[in-house]
Amino acid sequence: MNTHPSVRVLPPPAAGLLSLIFPGLGQLCTGAVRKGLLISTSFLTLTALGLWRVSVLAHRETGWIDKLQKALSRQPGFMMLVILLFAAVWLTSIWDAYFLAQKRKKDRSAKGRNIIFALILTHFFVIGWQIAEIDLVKMVQKFPDTIPPLLKILMPWEAAIHRDRIEVDAKARILVDSEGEIPPVPEMIEGQPYIQVEPRTGKLSRMDSQGNIVEGTAVTIEGSGYAPLTEVQIFWNDAVGNAFRPRIDGTYAGTMTDAKGSFSYRMTMPYRLVPPSADGPQYHTVEGRQLQGMGSPKPSEPLVLTVQLIIETIFMGMMATLFGIIFSIPISFLAARNLMFGSLWSKILYYITRTILNIIRAIEPLIWALIAVVWVGLGPFAGILALTIHTIAALGKLYSEAIENIDPGQIEAVQATGATKLQTIIHAVIPQMIPPFVSFTIYRWDINVRMSTVIGMVGGGGIGFLLVQYIRLLDYRSAGIAVWFIAITVSILDYVSAEIRNKFI
Amino acid sequence: MLEVKNLTKIYSDGTVALKNVSFTVQDGEFLVVIGLSGSGKSTLLRCINRLIDPTEGDILWNGVNTTTAGTKELRVIRRKIGMVFQHFNLVKRSSVMTNVLCGRLGYVSPAATLIGRFSRQDTERAYRAMDMVGIRDQAKKRADELSGGQQQRVGIARALMQEPEMILADEPVASLDPVLAHTILGYIEKINQQTGVTVLCSLHYLDLVQRYATRVIGLKAGEIVYEGTKNDILNMTDTQFKEIYGEEAQRVGTGSITGGTQL
Repeated sequence: MNTHPSVRVLPPPAAGLLSLIFPGLGQLCTGAVRKGLLISTSFLTLTALGLWRVSVLAHRETGWIDKLQKALSRQPGFMMLVILLFAAVWLTSIWDAYFLAQKRKKDRSAKGRNIIFALILTHFFVIGWQIAEIDLVKMVQKFPDTIPPLLKILMPWEAAIHRDRIEVDAKARILVDSEGEIPPVPEMIEGQPYIQVEPRTGKLSRMDSQGNIVEGTAVTIEGSGYAPLTEVQIFWNDAVGNAFRPRIDGTYAGTMTDAKGSFSYRMTMPYRLVPPSADGPQYHTVEGRQLQGMGSPKPSEPLVLTVQLIIETIFMGMMATLFGIIFSIPISFLAARNLMFGSLWSKILYYITRTILNIIRAIEPLIWALIAVVWVGLGPFAGILALTIHTIAALGKLYSEAIENIDPGQIEAVQATGATKLQTIIHAVIPQMIPPFVSFTIYRWDINVRMSTVIGMVGGGGIGFLLVQYIRLLDYRSAGIAVWFIAITVSILDYVSAEIRNKFI
Repeated sequence: MLEVKNLTKIYSDGTVALKNVSFTVQDGEFLVVIGLSGSGKSTLLRCINRLIDPTEGDILWNGVNTTTAGTKELRVIRRKIGMVFQHFNLVKRSSVMTNVLCGRLGYVSPAATLIGRFSRQDTERAYRAMDMVGIRDQAKKRADELSGGQQQRVGIARALMQEPEMILADEPVASLDPVLAHTILGYIEKINQQTGVTVLCSLHYLDLVQRYATRVIGLKAGEIVYEGTKNDILNMTDTQFKEIYGEEAQRVGTGSITGGTQL
């Protein structure tokens, strides 16, 4: 380039002054138009962003000075950094303009330094940090909160099995607060649980006139014939047959059976008002109830649902891929440059097809699903529809690129042997198309199954629907089952699709 | 006998590739076409089997005008003309065997190819063709697993499958090293001498031309600027040479030709 010493450029102090008035102006007038514009627009953007964040931080204050003070007091670290960088960018732009002008006096096309862009970039990141509300302290402090649900999600297996339960109980009568015949010891029946209570008469706990509790008689409940090592709950039935579960020091009465299925439990008789109208002997019944697991363990409802829905999910992905292939193959021919650049009309068709495909592809399947739900209602069909639309666009583009990459030499060679059009397609075109088609299709199937695991979150059927429900119900174990199944399915699919693709490429 | 009469090819973008080219090739000749890249060599060879449709002129092969041949006639013409390419043009993802069998496509009915079967005779013929160029043990491999030299042998075997009366070789050794170049041209020469197949071959290196050609034509900007016998080539002068390859041409080493931007 020209290196005339006498080239007329802005004197360095003037360039510096211009950049003092507005950053980038000096560079602009020195001839570094792009650099100057970049600095100016960056500076403007940064100023606007900075002011926006200040007004967000101090949204109640009115004057800018008040706002600044408030913002400074709320986030001093951020504000100091931003102001510092603001000043640094400004000063650097002055220095840079001066330096550049000085250099350009000697060489018209001299390049300045780019330190200012590092500063601008840093400034953007600092503001970005604040806009994104990044809070590392919170992240570390609140981490322990996530451990319980995380553990449940990671180890959900106790929610995967279910046993039917049956309640067994045994009863023993006791005479309370009255005179009368002491009830007999209950009869023992073979194969059934049994309890007896001693003594078989006593006084209930009651409240005296000062409101203090006067403890009742202590009784011992002996039980046998229960399931071993399982909880037995003690219930108390009053004279009219109302059952209640007494509490001792705040916890419900009850105990665990030993290895033989027996227990011995000592408690004071509970507080219960005996109605004044009651006369004659008052018999209460002590009851030992137990919930026993019955039959073999069965898969729980969440497990069954998860399995059903993961199957639905895989098939959603498959169906969407199938429909996608069917529609995208003809479309891909319209989007292949080498086929469509013959006439003007086909060229126009090519650009229209490409544009539509690009627009469809730019909209995520989740958004398509929202539209599809309005269209065909909730359920897997909506999900399939959404995935199909996106698949057509994605595969259409990939297929058309495969068509564009066909080697004309191979076609030429087969034609030269005297092959007919059909033979040329079979022997030269299809062998070239199959590998990329298979590869892209499998890749897309992979994506579709992965997508269909989340598409349920917006009502598109599949496992996502279930997963979101469990998470919203805070049923982390059931959610964990779904998460595990998704992870297993997707990794198997990843592996399988990679294997198949390797075979074909 | 091949007669090319006043052949002209103008591409749709206006490029004139061939200008009024006329020459005759006797059966059994090894005719070498020389010339710079873009001089029209490839276009000329492709016009003969109508991979490219000529704009004007006639090509008579054994008395049949190929330029006016219909689809069926063209098929019969093409299957008797084998073609070997600079970049081999094998169907890369198919096996060597399938590639060689492709040479038979001009003979089998399209319906049979739909099922993808070739007859036993064709398979045996393919093995014989592979034997001829020494690649029988590669039959099961995928074409793109082979080295360049081996791929070109597959190309020759494919041409042999056509039981050709003429072979068009479009710079068959330009992608290969000099030693391989002699091997490949050796096979073509062997076919030419043993079975009397006419060969039309475009080449770049003068030493190869001198070694293999029985006759030479030189193309420059789509026109024939040189025609000579084997003896003429052996005694070729720098002036004639420059006429074909331009002012910047010069002999390299033992007689290779470079043409300015070429090679």
